[in-house]
Parts: sequence; structure tokens; C-alpha cells
Amino acid sequence: MTEDPRIRVVHVGHTLEGLPGSLDVLILDLNLNGRLVIDDIAELACASQRIIAYSQFTEPDLVLAALDAGASAFVAKGEGRVHLVETVVAVAADRPYVTPTAAGVMVSDSRPDAPRLSERERIALLWWFQSMSKASVAHKMGISPHTVEMYIRRARLKYAHVGRAAPTKADMLVRAIEDGLVSAEEIAEPGGVHEGDPAVTGFQGRSR
Amino acid sequence: MSDPSSDIVATARYAHALNVSLVTILAVWHFAYDVLILWRGWPSYTSHAAALGSWLVVAVALVVGSVLLLRGTLGPTTARVLAVATLLAGYLALDSYPSGQVLGEVSWAWNTVGWCGVLLLMRAPLGELIGFQTLNTAAPVLVLAVEGAIDRVMVARLIVVICATVGFQLLFAMTGRLLLRTARQATDLALADAENVGRRSVDEAVHAGRLLRYRQVRERIEPLLRGLADGSLDPSDDAVRRATGLEAARLRRLFAETDDTPDPLLHELRASADLAERRGLDVSFVHYGQPPEIPLVVRRFLAEVPLVVLNSAASWARLTTLTDAGEVIVSVVADAPPDVLSDMRGAVPLSVVFDQEESQLWVEIRWNRAADSTSGSSTTTPSSSRESRPG
Repeated sequence: MTEDPRIRVVHVGHTLEGLPGSLDVLILDLNLNGRLVIDDIAELACASQRIIAYSQFTEPDLVLAALDAGASAFVAKGEGRVHLVETVVAVAADRPYVTPTAAGVMVSDSRPDAPRLSERERIALLWWFQSMSKASVAHKMGISPHTVEMYIRRARLKYAHVGRAAPTKADMLVRAIEDGLVSAEEIAEPGGVHEGDPAVTGFQGRSR
Repeated sequence: MSDPSSDIVATARYAHALNVSLVTILAVWHFAYDVLILWRGWPSYTSHAAALGSWLVVAVALVVGSVLLLRGTLGPTTARVLAVATLLAGYLALDSYPSGQVLGEVSWAWNTVGWCGVLLLMRAPLGELIGFQTLNTAAPVLVLAVEGAIDRVMVARLIVVICATVGFQLLFAMTGRLLLRTARQATDLALADAENVGRRSVDEAVHAGRLLRYRQVRERIEPLLRGLADGSLDPSDDAVRRATGLEAARLRRLFAETDDTPDPLLHELRASADLAERRGLDVSFVHYGQPPEIPLVVRRFLAEVPLVVLNSAASWARLTTLTDAGEVIVSVVADAPPDVLSDMRGAVPLSVVFDQEESQLWVEIRWNRAADSTSGSSTTTPSSSRESRPG
């Protein structure tokens, strides 16, 4: 982490006590001294703290709970340094980053209030989960890696509507509008689903 | 092999036919022949009330007993109560006969009450029917003895009458019971036979499956062992090591296949992943979703493809499964050669992509319950070469 010039580590701790207030990103182990910190995530996200949930546990319920509570991303400990660095850089700029583990959880999410992903978003997430290579996914889908990235990010943005509202989620949506990833009209629709509206075609229903 | 259910129906029909014939005999006897006797000898009965009353009691017991019997709801207690009622009615009738007419033209009850006993006590223990017949026979004989009418001629007549009535009735009852029992035994045998046939066909299918697997394993393993034993195969040769590793993995998967676990597919995949890890491979196995019930032939294929890829991988592999109630998606990515699955034919379509630059093989198998193609053919995509770098 310290090897990357874009990142500076300013605080390392075993508890949430004495946390500096000026952190761009907080990497938080979900299991802090034997205690799950989902509630702390919600509290910190309310205070606009960007959080990356980091855990060796990859159970879907836990991953989704962390995202619902306002964590900007989830990284499994087994996913390696590159994913963590990429996630930190993306999250610091309020951009979503979906690791293959999070993609697997999102694509298998069968909760009644799960966001409705489009077929292409689903495929992109599924193949990203399988191959861990966006270039491979792009080739298989017959699109550019950039478009694959767009599908994955759009799928992730739909999760900003699930669970409690948090400034971290709002910031992510604002940045997505600035980046041209979604339009303000799409954001205005809860869940982003509005069949037949040309402005929200990318947010149409999931096939499963 | 006959259908066991039809045998049960046949037994029930047979019992019903026996009951109908008994009821018919008695109905004709009591409502035609006895009525004729009563009508013809009416002036000579000592008590008309006793004559008519006894006839009515027998008629009521007969109708009630017959209806219950034909409906199949005649309980043992009801049958005994009705039998005792007819026995007593028989005694009452005996009392209405004029002197010396116990075996005369106006007597009717002995034979009829005897048949009633057969009808009502056919299914009771045989002792009850014999007791009933004894009591039914003893009364007229006793009356004859009291009247002093028993001489050599009367004894001979009694023997003939007892043989013709009681003997025939008991014979009928015993034959009926014997036939019913035989029919029941035949039914039981047919049921047991059907069960044996069913069990045998299952055993045969299991045995055939074992033989097939044994033959497949032997055909592939025997040459390897033979080659290693006679020195024609070199254990340090990579190809030999890969072949022996693959067969060891297959054996391991076959052992896992018979384990009793809630998620057999995951269990078998985990077994393959464990074995690959033991071989020094860096394997990640991630699964999301609840696996549905998968037909064995499909499951075998879903497990066999990753097994082959894992065994051919040089240093790492990523095995993922995504399942829900209707679909299973198994994928494996590994640094394996492009042609390891070239002769793979199975129950489910395969998608195979080879990334040349990264020297990695990406295989995806999808099985959909709704569009189950277990009888269909494989549509293995030929390995394609391309350039790519990870994202």
C-alpha cells in the first residue's frame, strides 16, 4: 500500500478510538477484535467518512450489509493488493469499485428489494466474478473494457439506493453524474427502474 | 409380472362375490322357501306370534347383517349380537312347532338360522361358528329327546339332516375361509414379488453404474499402472504425471460422489479443489447461491470439467459457482493448456475461451433446469486464441 505514490497511510489502529477526522478513505476490517462493525460503518458513513469494508469473510449477507450501511466498497482479504489499491484510489474520488467477490455477491443477490440489474450488467458482473479480468470479459462480451467497467459501475450505483441513505452514497451518485455514468433523471428514480423511459434504458429489469 | 394393485382388487372382488352368493342363498331361502312353509303350515303352529316373531327377527338380522356385510362394515361385535338374535329366534320358532314336527313339514328355522351363522360368523374364529352350529343343532335334538321321539330311524334321519345342513354349512364356511386366506396370501406374495422386482431393478441399475465406472476407471488406470510397473512409462515425464494426477483426481471425485451431503456438486468440486491444492496449486473456490437438485449425469459433467482443468493447471486456478433455484453456472479459470477439454463431450453446453497472452483457460458451464438438455449434445466451443490482459 505504502509503495503506491497515490496513497499515504496516516493512521493505523486496532480500534475505532482516536480516528482522525480528515481521512479520505478508511479501510475497516469488518471483524474488529471479534466484533462485527456494520453499525459503526453506518455511523461513520453518516459522518461522510468513505469506508472500504475489508474482510476475510465473504458471506453474501455480510457483504450486502456493509454496502447497505454505506460502505463505498467491499474487498475480500484474499483478493490481493492490486484490488485494494484500485479500490482506495477509486473510493477516494467517490467512484465505485467492485471487486470480483462483490460482483459475485451482487449478481447472486436474490433479496426481494435487490436492485434490478440489466442483462448486460448481470453478465458483466458474472464474468468479472468468474475471470477477474475485465479485458477477458470485454472480449467475451464483444465490447470494450471501458464499457465493461461502465456496466459494473452502473450496477454498483444501483446499490446506492438500497439500505439507509448516507452521504457517502449521495457523493458517489453525484460523482457518477459528473462522470456522465448516469443522468440526474435516472438517479431521481428510486431504484432507477422505469420501464419504457429512454433515459433509463440501462437500468431496466433483471432477467432472473 | 402382474400389477399388485390389480391383485388386491381381485381379492376384494373375490371376497365380495362370496358374500353376495351367501346373501342370495339366504334371501331366497328365508323370504321364499320359509315364507312358503309358514304359509302352508300356518293353521298348525301352536303360537302364531312365536312363529311370525321368530321369522321377523331372523329377517331383520339377515337384512341388517347382509347390508353391513356387503358394505364391508360388519364389525365382529355386531355380527355376534345378530348371530345370538337369530339363534334365539330359532329357539322361539322351535317352540311354535306342533308336537312331533321338529323335523316335519312346518319346521323352517334350523337350516335358515344355520346359514345365518355362516353369513355372520364366517370371518370370526372357526370355534365361534362351530359353537353356534352346536347350539343351533342341540335345541331340536333336545326337543326330540324330550318328546321321546328318538329311535333308530330318527337317529338315522338326524344324521342325514345334520350332514345335509350343518355339515354342508360348515364345509361352505371352511372352504370360503380357506379360499379367502389363499387369495390374501396370493396378494401378499404378489406385493412382495413386486417389491422384490422394484428393489432388484434399483440394485441392478446401481450395480450397472458401478460396473460402468469400474470399467472406465480400469480402462484408464490399468495402462498407467502397467506402464509404470514395466518401466515403459517414466514417472518423471510431465505427461505421465498429468495423466496419473488426473486419474487420482477422478477416483477422488468418484469417492466423493457417493458421500451423503446436502450439496453434492459443491462437495465434489471442493474435493477436486482440495486435491489440486495438495498438488501445490493456488486454488480459489468461491460459491454464491443455493444449489438446486441436479440430475446425476449433469452433476458428473459439471464436476468433471473443472477437475480436468484443475489437473492441467500449472500453478493457479479460480473455481466459481453461482447457483439459484433454476440455474447452475460453474466456471474455472486457470493457467492450463488450451486443448485439455478438446475431447470433452457431455450433457451441458460448454463455453471455452483461451487467452493466449496470459496462457489462461476460461471455461464456463451453464445448466438451466427449465431448459434441461441432459439428453442433448454438447456444443463445445473450439478454443479460441486471443490477446488480452487482466483488468
